Amino acid sequence: MINLLHRLNRYLTLSAPVATALIALLFVSSAQAISDTAATPQVQAQLVASVTNVQPGEEIYLGVHQKIIPHWHTYWINPGDSGNATTIEWTLPEGASASDIIWPAPSRFSMGPITNYAYENDVTLLTKIKIPDSVKPGEQFTAQALVDWLVCEEECIPQQVELALSLPVVAAGESLGAGDARIDDALARLPVASPWDVHASQTAIDPTTGQGELTLHIALTAAQLEQVTDIWFYPYDWGRIQQSVEQLRKSFDGGITLTIKTGEAPLSIGDAVTGVLVITEKTGDAAVQKVARGFEINTPVQPLGSANAALGFFSALLLALVGGIILNLMPCVFPVLSIKALSLVSHSNQSAAQIRSHGVIYTLGVLASFAFLALLLIALKAGGAQIGWGFQFQSPLFVLAVAYLMFAVGLSLSGVFFIGGSVTGVGSSLTEKPGYTGSFFTGVLATIVATPCTAPFMAAALGYALVQPAFKLLAIFLSLGLGLSLPYLLLTCWPRLQRWLPRPGLWMERAKQFLAFPMYAAAIWLVWVLVQQAGVNSIVVALGGMLLIAIAAWLYDITLPGSARVRNTGTISALALLLLALVIGYFGVNNANQNVGNAAAGGAQKAAEQNWEPYSEARLNELLREGKPVFLNFTASWCISCLVNERVALSDAKVKATFKENNITYLKGDWTNRDLAITQFLQKFDRSGVPLYVFYPAGKADQPAELPQILTPDMVIAAVTNSISH
Amino acid sequence: MSFLKIAAASMALAFVSSQVIADPIIDKAAPVFSGKAADGSTINLADLKGKTVVLEWTNHDCPYVIKHYESGNIPKLQKEALAKDVVWLQVISSAPGEQGFVDGAKAQKVNEYRNSVPTNTILDPEGTIGKLYGAKTTPHLYVINPEGSLVYKGGIDSIKSSKQQDIPDATNYVRETLDALAAGKKVPHPSTAPYGCSIKYAS
Repeated sequence: MINLLHRLNRYLTLSAPVATALIALLFVSSAQAISDTAATPQVQAQLVASVTNVQPGEEIYLGVHQKIIPHWHTYWINPGDSGNATTIEWTLPEGASASDIIWPAPSRFSMGPITNYAYENDVTLLTKIKIPDSVKPGEQFTAQALVDWLVCEEECIPQQVELALSLPVVAAGESLGAGDARIDDALARLPVASPWDVHASQTAIDPTTGQGELTLHIALTAAQLEQVTDIWFYPYDWGRIQQSVEQLRKSFDGGITLTIKTGEAPLSIGDAVTGVLVITEKTGDAAVQKVARGFEINTPVQPLGSANAALGFFSALLLALVGGIILNLMPCVFPVLSIKALSLVSHSNQSAAQIRSHGVIYTLGVLASFAFLALLLIALKAGGAQIGWGFQFQSPLFVLAVAYLMFAVGLSLSGVFFIGGSVTGVGSSLTEKPGYTGSFFTGVLATIVATPCTAPFMAAALGYALVQPAFKLLAIFLSLGLGLSLPYLLLTCWPRLQRWLPRPGLWMERAKQFLAFPMYAAAIWLVWVLVQQAGVNSIVVALGGMLLIAIAAWLYDITLPGSARVRNTGTISALALLLLALVIGYFGVNNANQNVGNAAAGGAQKAAEQNWEPYSEARLNELLREGKPVFLNFTASWCISCLVNERVALSDAKVKATFKENNITYLKGDWTNRDLAITQFLQKFDRSGVPLYVFYPAGKADQPAELPQILTPDMVIAAVTNSISH
Repeated sequence: MSFLKIAAASMALAFVSSQVIADPIIDKAAPVFSGKAADGSTINLADLKGKTVVLEWTNHDCPYVIKHYESGNIPKLQKEALAKDVVWLQVISSAPGEQGFVDGAKAQKVNEYRNSVPTNTILDPEGTIGKLYGAKTTPHLYVINPEGSLVYKGGIDSIKSSKQQDIPDATNYVRETLDALAAGKKVPHPSTAPYGCSIKYAS
């Protein structure tokens, strides 16, 4: 008896929440026949479909919609540190099949040191159902679902409901009907393919802590990153990461890294990292402040030491130094340096101290040039430019100028012209000056000719440098410069080394002539780079310019021995030809550039790859006056949502086809620079941020329809075709 | 990355670190602790060297704990363990006012009516021992061998559900571990995913 009382006591006072839940459950499940809705005190559940009717052999979506009371949540496939994912057990007619649950992107909830991956307020868990071929029009297709979930606030309650939905079967060709809007909402919340490159690497597991670090490299641009308010990686499997530990974010050249501590079941090298990366972006818009998108991640874990391995500052300095030394051997630099080294031999009449000074001044020339380059990069970065090493090669004019320089230096080495008649002159009268100025400018020249070439180790050091603060960037560049100047510096400072240099002789002349060829090769390579940038016609421009330079060099040289007047005529003509070459180069490359741009656009339009026109108010008004349907997309290069929507929905083949079939003109407005005209248009729709999608149906310039912030192809097609049919 | 951002990140990390649970490592020394038991005595893990020790985090109101007690699953396991001279310690890390929090007397009464026979029950309302072991759920099980090394951490069995009917189909990891220890064999699954309600820590 007492035992009974104890049991009663237990049920009433200690297990009250569970008892209530059990009783409620009992009531719910036995009170009526299974319907498409069921409710517990915490969750209202409903079975919804993507269609109103089904056809034999088709695929439809069914969804279990959970409306959860505030502060409670149900769980994602990986519930996190505790909790349990919702499960659905289907009972379907013979021949029908159901997929696994298709999960919308989750959120996270922390309670002290415990973090869960779950959903709050409402979520629809989707399942793809294949209708069997055997059902006949006129029948009913009934799906039953036994749904188990754990719903928690602080306490947890496991609950179970049964839901059933019957849909009429219609013949092929008949209308399927609209289906429940919540399915579309869920489809919009599904993770999509990542528009950025993502790769993963992981450190070894430290035996003393049992932990390692998993790093995800995500190629977000700096501008896009500015819009991000939250970024979190949710792995599908338990234990891959420490689920509640902050995921550290760092910028690197080409994107960001997310460093995450590994968990109880870490991955091994080669295993695939699978999960969802959720990025929350601020839209700068009072109406819709934040947008969260999930991105499917599936990438193998690479061993550390692959691209973008963490580099320390001192390792980078060392790498830069070694890279600089190796740079001396590269065909761009080697000829210049060899000549300079050999000049030591011919300058053997100078004192050791003087030779040493030459070496130091040369080094200063190199360091000053590298410092200049570093400061230039710092200034450009501060100005917001996307800088990677080789940035200078994005300008075709720069490439052309360096190609000309290489060619000119080659001509000098070949003996076409001699400036000053001294072996030390390698293409610039400044370097010929037998004094310290000459050595300084040889240093500058060495840096200039070195820029087209990269050496092993340099790339890693520079990649590291470009994402560091200003003083570290400068230090690494100076280290590179020091490496470049080191061999010559050592030669000048250690007389003993000089003794190893061979005696002067005819061989020096031959060597000098031979070294012209690597310079020509460098010029050829640069012309190839130019062609990539400015199109085929730039070959004529570049080679024509080189021809002019060759003539100028020859003219200068043959008039040297003559009288002062002859000499001056020669020099002036040569300079004139040089100027002509530069002018032709400038205009030729600029025009070629534009042609390339137009060709690309024209070709693309012909290929129907690009089905949009740039937005302008005039064009929009023109189209509206003509009563044509117009689809507007306002985007910006830093807007992640915009990028994702374009990839996922607007570039979809079906969407493009729908636009074409319905003669819809697609106007794209680029708001990257906060164009005033576009700002005003946004304001008309009470918006202050992008993305904004607006559709003007044919002939209805006063009834534009605004589309949601997250697009799916079906949503766009529905929006444009529904509006048209009204 | 600007200095400000680095400074902010470091501060955030420091704050988070104070919340982070350290996870003990398999085959390394299990973290030692001393705690107050439900009967008023003090229990030191260090004193228990030479015996196999099982740590069971529990919360008598959690549906997953109820699943294993009402079915008799954990009481049976406890009796088997005691017969093999294994020390079975329950640990309750719920904070005062949170679900599962009990004082000594209540803890003993709860065990009485659910036929639970642990060697003792440690009251850890501050959560110190729980965080020391990285305990996250109830139930969460740890097994320490007589030498004092951690040989098992994780869930009680292999089917993460709240339903009693899943118990016979699941692999009971605690039994598996104790059998392996007794036979001198390697523990087949030293680390598994724990499941259950989250432990209601103080912060």
